[in-house]
Amino acid sequence: MDWSTSLWGARPRPAESAPPAHRSLVLKALLDSLRRFPRPAVLDLGAPLGSNLDLLRALSCRVSIADLHRLLAFEPPERGVRESFPAQLERLLPAPPPGGFAAVLSWDLFNYLRRDQIQALTARLAPTLEAGAQVLAFVWTRPTIPCAPLRYRMLDDENVVGEGAREPERPAPLYKQPDFARMMPGFAVSRSYLLRNGIQEYLFANGMT
Amino acid sequence: MWNKRESEAASYSPVPSSPGSPVSGGGTERASIGASVAIVGNVTGAEDLTVLGRLEGKIDVPQHNVTIGRTARVQADIHAKSVSVEGEVRGNLFAGEQILIRKTATMLGNLTAPRVGLEDGCSFKGSVDMEMRAENQRATAPQAQRPQETPAKPPAPSLPTPVKLETAPARP
Repeated sequence: MDWSTSLWGARPRPAESAPPAHRSLVLKALLDSLRRFPRPAVLDLGAPLGSNLDLLRALSCRVSIADLHRLLAFEPPERGVRESFPAQLERLLPAPPPGGFAAVLSWDLFNYLRRDQIQALTARLAPTLEAGAQVLAFVWTRPTIPCAPLRYRMLDDENVVGEGAREPERPAPLYKQPDFARMMPGFAVSRSYLLRNGIQEYLFANGMT
Repeated sequence: MWNKRESEAASYSPVPSSPGSPVSGGGTERASIGASVAIVGNVTGAEDLTVLGRLEGKIDVPQHNVTIGRTARVQADIHAKSVSVEGEVRGNLFAGEQILIRKTATMLGNLTAPRVGLEDGCSFKGSVDMEMRAENQRATAPQAQRPQETPAKPPAPSLPTPVKLETAPARP
């Protein structure tokens, strides 16, 4: 297999200024696993994108969306109320469907959360997941990252493009696999790939430790 | 949450904004709740409805279309034939045909309709339940964005062969 095309996809860029797409092996693995279920429930923690919804709908998914980074910024608690991060999560995350979520798309959200916040998010999500549920995460390995999460658009079931402003940048937390083992008890890395664009893709499986 | 000193009503039947005027969709009338109007209560009707002001309660026009305009702030469950949201809605939407969340919308609530569209740039928190199965959607959904129709790519050797949806085994 041609390594370059395996990572960057065979699709030509739609326009010169468009951000490059990358082939995501963890996304393909995740979506392939969802095909085995008649009505899987998916929680998307990224920006709401109609094309992603259409793609998940084609897999008969029940989709819940909570653009968590944006909600944390623009959906503050009632005036005068001081809210802990776990309480914010309780307010901002959608209720789980009966049976729980089969997958969570966190995209690059973890890069914008502190360790204690990732721990709190994982603790909040864990009881809402069904056994073996999977969490997709993109973790930047570069020293600097865009100042806000990108919008990840699924072009198909294995090609993804990250849209949005890449500048200005901010320092990256540079989380590594041992960090996630500490921050996400009860989850194990089932797949991980380092891509040329500086993203380390992870697929975490719930209840596998 | 909102200022409730403004006009309140237990039930409200909006007056058509321009009686008898033709509207896209076949000559039905369209009622409008103006930008300066605030309602607390239930709204029912037998015509299309546009909300531009504030509304807290419930909207129930199951045979007609509802448009939540850009200036609107609605805290209500909405039952309609189709719903288009450009403003702010906190509540659950139920539509017999379709729901469209425009890019200017802030939508906090669950969506239930056979077709749901989210425009890029909208703000949304909630679940989307489209009860039509994938087989049925092939006949009705837009042609773009369906993974089955993307050009075939050689599968990664280490990945399992995708199972066709129609033959997927039941969840244990």
